[in-house]
Amino acid sequence: MAATTLALPPARYEYGGDEFVFVEIDQAMSLEANFKAMTITGALRERRLDGVLDICPSNASYLIRVDPERLHPAELVDQLRSLEASATELTADQVLSTRVVDVPVLYDDPWTRETLLRFRDRHQDPGATDLEYAARLNGFDGVPQLVEALSGAPYIVTMLGFVPGLPFCYQMVPRDRQIEVPKYIRPRTDTPERAFGYGGAFAVVYPVRGAGGYQLFGMAPAPVFDLSQTLPDFAESIVFPKAGDIVRYRAIDQAEFDQVRREVEAKTFRYRIREFEFRPGDFLADPDAVNNELLEVLYR
Amino acid sequence: MATIKATMPGVFYRCPSPGAEPYVAEGSDVSEGQTIALIEVMKTFNEVKAEVSGTVTKFLIADGDEVSMGQDIMEVDGA
Amino acid sequence: MNGLIVHTGGLYTTVQDTGRDGYYEIGMPPSGALDQFSYRAANLLVGNPEGAAALEATYIGPELEFTDDRLVAVTGADVPVTLSGEPVKPWETIPVKAGDVLSFAMITGGARVYLAVSGGIGVPDYLGSRSTYTLTGLGGFEGRKLADGDRLPLGERPVGTAPAPGSGVSESLRPSFPEVAELRTVVGLCSYRLTDAALRSFLETTWKVTKDADRVGYRLRGGTLDFVEREQPFGAGSDPANVVDLGYPVGSIQVPGGDEPIVLLNDAVTGGGYATIGTVISADRDRIAQTKTGDQVSFVSVDIDQALAARRERRERLDRISNELKE
Repeated sequence: MAATTLALPPARYEYGGDEFVFVEIDQAMSLEANFKAMTITGALRERRLDGVLDICPSNASYLIRVDPERLHPAELVDQLRSLEASATELTADQVLSTRVVDVPVLYDDPWTRETLLRFRDRHQDPGATDLEYAARLNGFDGVPQLVEALSGAPYIVTMLGFVPGLPFCYQMVPRDRQIEVPKYIRPRTDTPERAFGYGGAFAVVYPVRGAGGYQLFGMAPAPVFDLSQTLPDFAESIVFPKAGDIVRYRAIDQAEFDQVRREVEAKTFRYRIREFEFRPGDFLADPDAVNNELLEVLYR
Repeated sequence: MATIKATMPGVFYRCPSPGAEPYVAEGSDVSEGQTIALIEVMKTFNEVKAEVSGTVTKFLIADGDEVSMGQDIMEVDGA
Repeated sequence: MNGLIVHTGGLYTTVQDTGRDGYYEIGMPPSGALDQFSYRAANLLVGNPEGAAALEATYIGPELEFTDDRLVAVTGADVPVTLSGEPVKPWETIPVKAGDVLSFAMITGGARVYLAVSGGIGVPDYLGSRSTYTLTGLGGFEGRKLADGDRLPLGERPVGTAPAPGSGVSESLRPSFPEVAELRTVVGLCSYRLTDAALRSFLETTWKVTKDADRVGYRLRGGTLDFVEREQPFGAGSDPANVVDLGYPVGSIQVPGGDEPIVLLNDAVTGGGYATIGTVISADRDRIAQTKTGDQVSFVSVDIDQALAARRERRERLDRISNELKE
């Protein structure tokens, strides 16, 4: 039985007024903390408690929305504590049934470049692009090496939120290989739809155009949000990503970008998706081996 | 003499955009329905229109100041 | 088609109801009427189910023409109302006929007006609610605020006994709009990020509502709050106000930069990377919804039991209205 390599503190339980319970697993981000949040929220979902309105696993925490007339928030906290007691250690036989998804990204694209150049006065390094700044900050020789790292290892969707469909994605590499960048000094007032951004230790794809503070690295040709639900992958939901999804932000060229755009516009585009039985215990023991397996399954 | 009041709270602007000419100056004429200022609230810029025709005698609030609902904005003579 | 003809849409008028549950996890907030008490009371006054779709107007009301016989009620903010030029009373059951035009003058107290029509606003249900969420343009009437010239569908008039014209809500049951709105708040979440002095100062300060106050949230001004110095945990970002991105409760308070607290409301961004320091209780979201730019608010610390008691008290007030209308 393999235990997690990282000892997590006991969770903190907080009332978010009378309608929410917030549970902080850890103050720092780690895959261990996220796996614990996923495990507890997954078990809570299975209990189907009357009065639980929303279950939102987050990066290193989770949030529950409750109807206090049907379930007293204190009673909910008792239930959550009991779930935590049975989820303190990840065992080797724990399995997360998830999907592995290929998400094409045109890094250093003309659209986000145009946007980021408009907001240099809000940036840490007005003389560089966001990619150049991030490459230097993270000790890469240049932008191509950074893109290789961003595009190489897969990410896990550790939270959805801010606006509908925005996936927070944490790269599945040990902490010494994590890429970390600050957010803009002051948020931009504009970000293109489908921009691929990076802030703190998280990659995101912006579902809709709007304000944003993450560094802009590229553009995804395929959407993560489709209100009209005309694309086949959106038949059941207006948002594509799900918490627990494993995604690879594969670097593509302009020709493939244009091809995917044509498919999206013709409503024929489908993400490449493979089902996968993910074992967090195995992953934490040997991340590179599991990542290789993930990519092999994805492109088989 | 008529007084034009703010119909919403927010931030009061006399110009359509920063650095632009004001919509109207003291001493100039306005006609009913003419845009005389903007009030910014809830991330939108809303046009303030003159409810009467006449000559602007005095602005009662400065450009960029916060304005409350019902506050007097300017005096118009000859209505 | 019978419905409402929108002569003017007002400043920001949307269709709202009790809100959309079950989609917070994908990042979609519940939306729904910000002042649930006034909204529900309006429905009771016209004989609707409490959760029927109604209109919420901010600062400037719409002008609406009716195309058939209905009952209407206006609640929420204090505002003079006229029906085809004749003054009518808010918080009362008002009968209207085809061709009647309902208009609002300038609000004299509060910020949001609710208008219920017997039969409810008949827009299609979207994911279990008729509430408008304008950010992504879904729900309500075409996912947006009303515009001049719109025609709003109305639902079938409810069968059974409706309150008689002229029925009203007792003055004592209506909300008041004090100079400083007290917002009862369960302090917590990531309040450990503030120094003790900052937390005291947060509760002692009278805050002013800025121009950035809408259905997503209210930005306030009035003081500066210091964060506890620390080495930022991995993934949180470098600013002392940052935490590892987490879920934001509706009603939660965050303090980006330490000087402008933001209270999130029903169209909240559902998560992000700023430390949350407490949550305004659901009953007092009604209160903050009736404050406007330039108004003052303060925060009063309560525990979960007091929060639940306040929620019950609001429920009892609605039940009393319901009973009064049946008499």
